[in-house]
Amino acid sequence: MIELTNIHKTFGKVHALTGVNLKAEAGTIHGIVGENGAGKSTLMKVLTGFIGRSGGEILFQGQKVRLDSPKDALRLGIGMLYQEPLDFPQLSVLDNFMAGRAVFAPVEARTELARLAATFGFTLHPDNRVEELTIGERQQLELLRLIGDGARLLILDEPTTGISKEQQDLLFTALGKLKTDGATILLVSHKLEEIDLLCDTVTVLRHGRVAATRQRPFDRDALLQAMFDSLPEPQAPPEPKRGGIPVLEFEKVTGSGGRSGLQKVSITIRAGEVVGLAGIDGSGQGIFLKIACGLVPPESGRILRFGAPLQGKAKETGRTTVFLPADRLGEGLFPGMTVREHHLLAAPGSALITSATGLTVSRRAIATHSIKGQPETAVEDLSGGNQQRLLLSFIPDGVRLILMENPTRGLDVHSAAWTWRHLHSRLHADGAIVFASPDLEELMSQASRIVVFYNGKIVLDTPTRATDYQRLSRAITGQIDPVGTC
Amino acid sequence: MKHIGILLQALVFSCFLLCPAGSPLLAADYPFGLLLVGPANDHGWSQAHFEAGQAMEKVLPGAKMLYIDKVNPADRQGITIPMLVDDLVSKGAKLIIGNSDDMKDGIREAAAMHPEVQFIHISGDDAITGKSGVNLSNLMGRMEYGKMMAGFVAAMTSQTGKIAYLGPLINAETRRLTAAAYLGARYAWTEVLKKPAADLKFKVSWIGFWFNIPGVTSDPTLVTNSLFDAGHDVVISGIDTTEALVVAGQKKKDGKAVWAIPYDYQGACASAPDACLGVPYFNWIPGYTKLIGEAISGKWKQQFLWLGPDWQAINNPATTTIGFMPGNALGDSQKQALTEFQKALAGGLNLFTGPLNFQDGSSFLKAGTTATDDQVWNLPQLLLGMDGASK
Amino acid sequence: MKTLVSLGHFLYNRTATMILIAALALGAVSLLLLTLGIAPTTIAVAIAHGSIFSWQKFSHVLSLWIPLLLCSCGLLFTFRAGLWNIGVEGQIICGAIAATALLREGSFGLPPALILTLALALSFFGGGLWGSCAGLLKNRGGVNEIFGGLGLNFVAQGLILWLILGPWKRAGIASMSGTDMFVKELWMYTPPGWRVAPAALLLALATFALTAFLLGATRFGLTVKATGNNPLAARLYAIHPERTGLAAMAIGGGLAGLAGGLQAACVYHRLLPPISSGYGYLALLVVMLANYRIAPVPAICLFFACLAAGSIQLPIVLQLDSALSGVIQGACVVSALLVHGLQKRHKGEN
Repeated sequence: MIELTNIHKTFGKVHALTGVNLKAEAGTIHGIVGENGAGKSTLMKVLTGFIGRSGGEILFQGQKVRLDSPKDALRLGIGMLYQEPLDFPQLSVLDNFMAGRAVFAPVEARTELARLAATFGFTLHPDNRVEELTIGERQQLELLRLIGDGARLLILDEPTTGISKEQQDLLFTALGKLKTDGATILLVSHKLEEIDLLCDTVTVLRHGRVAATRQRPFDRDALLQAMFDSLPEPQAPPEPKRGGIPVLEFEKVTGSGGRSGLQKVSITIRAGEVVGLAGIDGSGQGIFLKIACGLVPPESGRILRFGAPLQGKAKETGRTTVFLPADRLGEGLFPGMTVREHHLLAAPGSALITSATGLTVSRRAIATHSIKGQPETAVEDLSGGNQQRLLLSFIPDGVRLILMENPTRGLDVHSAAWTWRHLHSRLHADGAIVFASPDLEELMSQASRIVVFYNGKIVLDTPTRATDYQRLSRAITGQIDPVGTC
Repeated sequence: MKHIGILLQALVFSCFLLCPAGSPLLAADYPFGLLLVGPANDHGWSQAHFEAGQAMEKVLPGAKMLYIDKVNPADRQGITIPMLVDDLVSKGAKLIIGNSDDMKDGIREAAAMHPEVQFIHISGDDAITGKSGVNLSNLMGRMEYGKMMAGFVAAMTSQTGKIAYLGPLINAETRRLTAAAYLGARYAWTEVLKKPAADLKFKVSWIGFWFNIPGVTSDPTLVTNSLFDAGHDVVISGIDTTEALVVAGQKKKDGKAVWAIPYDYQGACASAPDACLGVPYFNWIPGYTKLIGEAISGKWKQQFLWLGPDWQAINNPATTTIGFMPGNALGDSQKQALTEFQKALAGGLNLFTGPLNFQDGSSFLKAGTTATDDQVWNLPQLLLGMDGASK
Repeated sequence: MKTLVSLGHFLYNRTATMILIAALALGAVSLLLLTLGIAPTTIAVAIAHGSIFSWQKFSHVLSLWIPLLLCSCGLLFTFRAGLWNIGVEGQIICGAIAATALLREGSFGLPPALILTLALALSFFGGGLWGSCAGLLKNRGGVNEIFGGLGLNFVAQGLILWLILGPWKRAGIASMSGTDMFVKELWMYTPPGWRVAPAALLLALATFALTAFLLGATRFGLTVKATGNNPLAARLYAIHPERTGLAAMAIGGGLAGLAGGLQAACVYHRLLPPISSGYGYLALLVVMLANYRIAPVPAICLFFACLAAGSIQLPIVLQLDSALSGVIQGACVVSALLVHGLQKRHKGEN
């Protein structure tokens, strides 16, 4: 049905996909798994024509095809179901079903929609407005539209996120039916149960390469090993700290944000701890950090910082708590402003500012943090590592709680090592560091305690010493050990 | 090739422009400036003035018009009347005309700045009130006569005996014109049709301004509709725009026997000719000719010039200040009666003759007395028999 | 040496940009005129003749320059804070209303200078209040400042019409020409032969200096800039983006209100419905043409004022519609946006 041979995709110097081969037969469900940044999204974008490939061939039903634009994909019958439905919320179900069709034939479309819905057991009222539907129903509509438009290759991106159990069952039945009808389905997921349940073949991506291709039945451990880098046992994970005063306490905190939000999370982080948050992107760790630093108010629950209730005031964040976001240029820095201006903003000082104000401070910070740049360099002209060093240079003395997202994202080995040396040196005697990272190696080597998030909940909370890669990767993909660990 | 020609012309022209300031731009004996509140081609108030100004160049030897149109702060950001007058004067203008009530303060200010230049302000009364120097005169047309004719044909045509007047805002001028329309209608009803005065209904609805301002005024389209719906079959418009006639035209198409009478401009019937009984309009040529002519010949004196129709030839552009152009919907017998009415007015018929009472029942004119110009100009109330607000 | 070279490079870049914009705008307008069969030089000479060739005319130009500069200064604050203050017109109106409320009452026997100063202070507060309304609507109600500003423009327009046709109508006849004139002693002093009040000119210059100082040399200015650049990051630096935005709206509205107060006090000596005269929208163009930088604003304002004043010549001398000056302004802004856009893209590609 579809066959990818030696697909390459580069963005500048970055290789997003390297020599990817993939073959999916008609009448099968083919799983694609891999951790964040493994190349899944890039591969899907190539398949749907949103981005052109840098090299390689695509055979569709035995024919070599161009597939350079979404139009090509549409013509070939390749349809994609996105995580966020790509529909028109203000229009009716029927209008959405007909959207994109060349011929305007509402009567026929209505009949067809009813027939397709009946086939799959979906209940969709053609005249309801789409914005009133649940995500699951919108997904059903999207699926019917793709099928109605003649899609023979369906790509589904994390289709079970945010839908109910019943809707999930309906979806799986529908996928089974499509498979029997001879359609090809590519299922992108990080939930191994789904892969187990549905897929005939699975391709594991890692660092833009195919790490493994397996046929049913799957050996879970083998899949996990292929998904995550197998690494030498870490050299002496940090000592777990015990008995310090509480620095950050969450009591049944619920909040929205990310893919799954945060659901009734309770945790206490004590002085001296370096806590690593693990989980697939959007499993709750990001929103946990934002709630902890007061950027996002929680929906319910109680939060104590240094024993006092969190008021969510930005001013307090500046003094005793800092947050360093993953998207440095997007959330942490002011593009278009200089290094010196950032230093001026980061610390209180005189109300009058000339071109010399803060120059000394800025120069000193640049020197002590080995930032490759001048006080008058615009921050967007700094490299990723230097932007991170710049953010670190804002941490004022006396900060007790350091919250970070992906502390070493985009940094080379040298910068990453420097960053962690620096962070450990900034760990306050009465404070803690909490960081989220997708990198298991980083978690294992830097954190004294690891907390794994899955679907907005904490599924594993353990001293680093008491766990290993196997258990972490299982927890990350939703397989919770029956054994309590902490 | 043509473009090069233009460039050469431009070069010559530029040199001409750069000649020492102060010397008049064009060698005319008597340049005069005209400030138009609207566009020179607005098919209304401003165009009537513009055409009169153009006519001056033919009528008065040596006269040369310099005009600036769209003189209002919405169209010309921050430009004031004194600025424009400065400019016209620097181009040699010896007399300036401002054609809008809105320009009252600006013209007065400019007249004080340029005592050597003569000013004509249309529709103001500074020359009477003495708020300005002797270099400022006022010019206005006796639209009362036009409105009397409008009221006359309305009553002659009406089948229900219910006539409505779509008024702008309430002031002395609009009260005067509305009362004139009523007197014309009453004359037709009682003197020509010989019907009892009590059977004539005359309703005045004020929208709040000269044209529709959404959210501020009543919507003239809605008001006209409700007037027709309430059984009035002729609406006389007193506002600057043609909503009344447009609505009447639509109702006419639906088979209703309704009519309207627009205002201001000779060609105003064009938007719905089949529902138009006629239009009273202004023609500024006689007034301009007199005032500018006197200024050219050195006989300028401050005056308040209030000109009426030429009864011999009511639509003669050279002589009449107020005209009435009958519309397509006016019947032959009514047209005949209108001619008789005009003859009577020409012969000295004065509808502002007692006994006339104000709306509140107090006496305006005792039997046998006629109103003075001042009494008419400053009419304090609507008249008895008119239904509508006086203040 | 290195700094010198980079400074030279910087200046070269800026100059090149300006020349490019001017050439583009000039080319576009000339092309348009030529296709219409009008010689561009004729237009240029006519406009120059009507704006800068005599002191009287130049003082006219200055009287247009003042409100435009004040509104543009206000917009510098809001644009820096990342806000589209589209409600300048309404803020001008509210400033004018506030000033009129005092000035129409006469001088109470107090020194006119004191009354005028008070009136202008009131106009600053009036406009600032209106600007804050848009800011609060955004912060509290989640109404985008563009829609809030537009809505408030309508409200202000309604308010001024109601006042002029209602409670503040001139003696006898309500008129679109505005309220009665203020008593003569409350007209700002204008020397004979001048068409602009020297005090207003000084006030405008001082305002510009203060704007440049506040935005360029204070912590507040830095905070505003940071908020505009990245409101998401601002919170991490203990900056309240909402509060800073509100302050910028209040100041921006205040300066627009001051422009309105000056229009009432020195130009028209009364309140009239179109008192804002479109300065609010014109100022948006000025600041965009300046690429949101401070230094070029007065010169661009002067250029636009010359165009507006000079364009009166077009109908008088050439029987052309004076809307042509609007076309020239538009061409400048479109050219500027084009050039800046291309530069940004070029930078992005490198």
